[in-house]
Amino acid sequence: MVVTAKPAPNVQRSSRLRAWKRSDTWAAWLFIAPSLLGLIIFYVVPFGRGLLISFSDWNLLTPAEPVGLANYSKLLADATFWRSLWITLSYVVINVTVQIGLSIGLAAFIARFTQSVWVRGLLILPYLLSNVVVALLWLWMLDPLLGVINEALMAIGIGRQAFLGSPQQAIATIAAINIWRHLGYSTLLIFAGMQVISKELYEAGAIDGAGEWHMFWKITLPLLRPVLVFVLVTGIIGSFQIFDTIAVTTQGGPANATRVIVWYIYEYAFVRFEMGYATTLAMALFLILLVVTAIQMRLLRAGESDL
Amino acid sequence: MRYERARTSGFIAVLLILSMVLSACAAAAPAAPAADAGGAAAAPASGGEAVTLKYVLWDTLQLPAYQECANQFEALNPDIKINIEQSGWGDYWTSLQTSMVAGDAPDVYTNYIGQVPEYADKGQIMDIQPLVERDAVPLDVYLPKLADLWVREGKRYGLPKDWDTIAVIYNKTMFEAAGIDPAIMESWTWNPIDGGTFEETIAKLTLDANGNNGLSPDFDKNNVVQYGFIPQGTGGAIGNNAWSHWAASNGFKFQDALWSNQFYYDSPALAETIEWYRSLWLEKGYSPGLADVTSLGPQALMQAGKGAMTTDGSWQINNYVTGDVDLGFGLLPTGPEGRRSVTNSLADSIWTGTKHPEEAWKWVKFLGSAECQDIVGKSGAVFPAIQSGVDEVLKLRESQGVDVSPFFEEASEPGVTFYNPVADNFSTVSTIMDEVMDRIMLGEVDDVAAALKTANDEINAALQ
Amino acid sequence: MILLLALIMLFPFWWALRTALSEPRSIFRDTTSLLPAEFTLNNFARVVGLVDSAQAVAMGGSGTSINFLLAMRNSLIVAVLSVTGQIFFSALAAYAFARIVFPGREKLFALFIAALMIPGIVTLIPNFLLIRELGWMNTFPGIVAPKLLMAPFAVFFFRQTFLSINRDIEDAAKIDGANHLRIFLRVILPMSVAAVTTLAILSFIGEWNDYLWPFLVGRNEDVRVLTVALGVFRSQTPQGAPDWGGLMAGAIVAMIPTLLLFLIAGRKAVDAIQFSGIK
Repeated sequence: MVVTAKPAPNVQRSSRLRAWKRSDTWAAWLFIAPSLLGLIIFYVVPFGRGLLISFSDWNLLTPAEPVGLANYSKLLADATFWRSLWITLSYVVINVTVQIGLSIGLAAFIARFTQSVWVRGLLILPYLLSNVVVALLWLWMLDPLLGVINEALMAIGIGRQAFLGSPQQAIATIAAINIWRHLGYSTLLIFAGMQVISKELYEAGAIDGAGEWHMFWKITLPLLRPVLVFVLVTGIIGSFQIFDTIAVTTQGGPANATRVIVWYIYEYAFVRFEMGYATTLAMALFLILLVVTAIQMRLLRAGESDL
Repeated sequence: MRYERARTSGFIAVLLILSMVLSACAAAAPAAPAADAGGAAAAPASGGEAVTLKYVLWDTLQLPAYQECANQFEALNPDIKINIEQSGWGDYWTSLQTSMVAGDAPDVYTNYIGQVPEYADKGQIMDIQPLVERDAVPLDVYLPKLADLWVREGKRYGLPKDWDTIAVIYNKTMFEAAGIDPAIMESWTWNPIDGGTFEETIAKLTLDANGNNGLSPDFDKNNVVQYGFIPQGTGGAIGNNAWSHWAASNGFKFQDALWSNQFYYDSPALAETIEWYRSLWLEKGYSPGLADVTSLGPQALMQAGKGAMTTDGSWQINNYVTGDVDLGFGLLPTGPEGRRSVTNSLADSIWTGTKHPEEAWKWVKFLGSAECQDIVGKSGAVFPAIQSGVDEVLKLRESQGVDVSPFFEEASEPGVTFYNPVADNFSTVSTIMDEVMDRIMLGEVDDVAAALKTANDEINAALQ
Repeated sequence: MILLLALIMLFPFWWALRTALSEPRSIFRDTTSLLPAEFTLNNFARVVGLVDSAQAVAMGGSGTSINFLLAMRNSLIVAVLSVTGQIFFSALAAYAFARIVFPGREKLFALFIAALMIPGIVTLIPNFLLIRELGWMNTFPGIVAPKLLMAPFAVFFFRQTFLSINRDIEDAAKIDGANHLRIFLRVILPMSVAAVTTLAILSFIGEWNDYLWPFLVGRNEDVRVLTVALGVFRSQTPQGAPDWGGLMAGAIVAMIPTLLLFLIAGRKAVDAIQFSGIK
């Protein structure tokens, strides 16, 4: 009974599946339709439109004037643009390297000494706050005269620092603020990556007489590569677009020391209302990120093979 | 199959409902703005229906007074409602222009003369000259020159509401402790070389941790506990309450006349002034550094008792007299070319995109009338543009025992006041000057004259 | 070490609370004591709109009446709408990409992935214009629309998750005559609770904290979200000091929902964030 009954459902099954397939295509499109609509209306079309606007002069109140490639040649000769690019880059480098370095250390520390959810919860707390709130908190604590941090520095004899008010310190200070917010997040990602690594590898290492430090370098770090690449890629793309913290704290100052690329675009678009040049700058940022991502994709692919 | 179709149509129904919910949101959500968006075709006050006007200003100190004006106006015009919104100076203009672009700007807005060219050029300020003529609005009620400030090439862009001047704000207790008679302010002098008796006073009022003042040979400028002077930031392109009075009293002028496209930021008179101004904190230790001032604000420093003097405008009087610290007002010192103070005047302008131009004009007329300006005067927030309003301020201050006469003395003394620069594309001027002034005041630039020359060349080239 | 960590992570919260509970004028005089300088609840009363402008000035505040409770309601509306919308629609699309074979699938998916690489600022300006043309300025649809239908990352993330789900259960469902919608709702979604939670938490944090977009299209008080309200509150005083007491009280009010979320779903939130990286 059991043996003879078996083929029947199989036949039935495959014919049903085939019938099922026929309606698949339009079901798929139906499923994708809302997202596709969103994609077209809010990503594809705007992108094309942005490109079009970049070939014109437009203040949104009087009609746009076509100017051809004038905005692009202006861009190439715009020293402020190149400077803002440089500022952005220095921010990205400080932010990403320090954050990842600290996160690895912290994650290793947590993995080794405590499994408490509370400690991890503590770390993630700042990430729950908005950039605006975080920026306000630190703006207040870093205040040159009334800020509690300067009072502390005075007490231990270092003396007051201008922090956000100093062209030399401002960008590093902003990086530090954002590191405070994102540290827990990247630490958790890396910590999770560490949890996935098989314990047996460490046991084997221990049998071979490898020290903890040695195992960290030879086992933990190489196996963490996929997670590290993820943190790196999202970190770099995100840092390139730093805006909120600067909008709340320095607004590009002092002496334009924190005029990062997105702030510069914002100034052109919504302070000076020169939409043509603003979109040109945005397109430039897009190209830069494309190149950066392309380089990182290589890394990413390399990362996959390791897993 | 049928079963499946029923299922998918169920799904489509869900989508449909969702989209309906969405469009319903779209229709219902914008309570106030949609009211005029929907009534795009509606002509002014189609009788019966109440019209709501949106009015914006930036100063919180003035908000209560203008709310009071609005209440009175609504009582007189039951078919018009005034909705006042306040947004801080920090993003007032960005916010205003964004709303113009978005098509839902306020019907009437508080305007500053420096912003007129930009908005006039883009067709965002209504020319009210025809209305003024039609209704024969008496312009002679305003203090001299105020009404005509708003006229360019026959077009009138607003009715004046107030005026201001700059004076010295000083800490009475600190003057007394240093043994300085405030009467010195009647005759004190300033020059960019040694700062005159004004700088001497600053020095006497600056104390280090050991109690030495700025004139003492033992004065430790790295350990100051009480600053003689609190600067008002970099001042950017206009130096409004920061350095414009020093520069002008040293013979500097921004441009030949308002609206001129030729600027003189390369003048040695300005460079000298700026050198002196920044030396207060970069070299002498009489003032807190720029970073301290910009992050905290000069008023907070004065109210925290960290400084003995500063310069500020009459629109800030309320901020200084409400604190616990006992502050007074004094005349600006006389410079090589005499005593000078900038004067500003604000007006109320109508947005060209308003759906209710007649009602908006009615409101502007009311704002510019003695009725409203007396209310503003009683609040003491600013000096109104009409004499009776000014008298109200004086009455109030007298009752409080606060002497604000220096502001008036400067306004009435001939040749003292001057205007901030006005030009088309002034935002370009601002962008360039903000940056160079930042660098100069932070001490990043050694040669002030050269830096100002470079900036000025850039400005004049950009404005041609 | 853990103590030091706790200090670095927690001290700013305490300092914000301490400032919010201090009398505004005393903040300037007493800058170091760890306890509030002259304890008061006035700052909170001001930010939740319990006092009017004149009283606020008398209390030493900026006199700006910003209603943070209203802003919080707006933030909730915006965040909840965008999160539910984008998660549902993204998962729907991801299901099609992961489970249905149809012509052009790979190319279409590539298009979605390409959208991931467009920086926000590039589409920001044209989207601003679009919302203006639709007449949706200062409305909830205007703020929510660009995020409601999808998020490229969510599509990508869900597709990965769905691909890892065993097909046998689905095949069994198909034999029972279930269609795709049914499979999606009854089989795939229930099996992906962890992924949905992860993304819901992450995008809630993201939407709750979003600043620039609502700043541009939602300035009016009736739709203004918390982050924008705080920014506006900050830029109130032209030359004076920021109203620190009020700002910190506002900041604390703004923290409450995410902190609540954290307290209620603390462990889940931690797991969720960890989870998002390994996928």
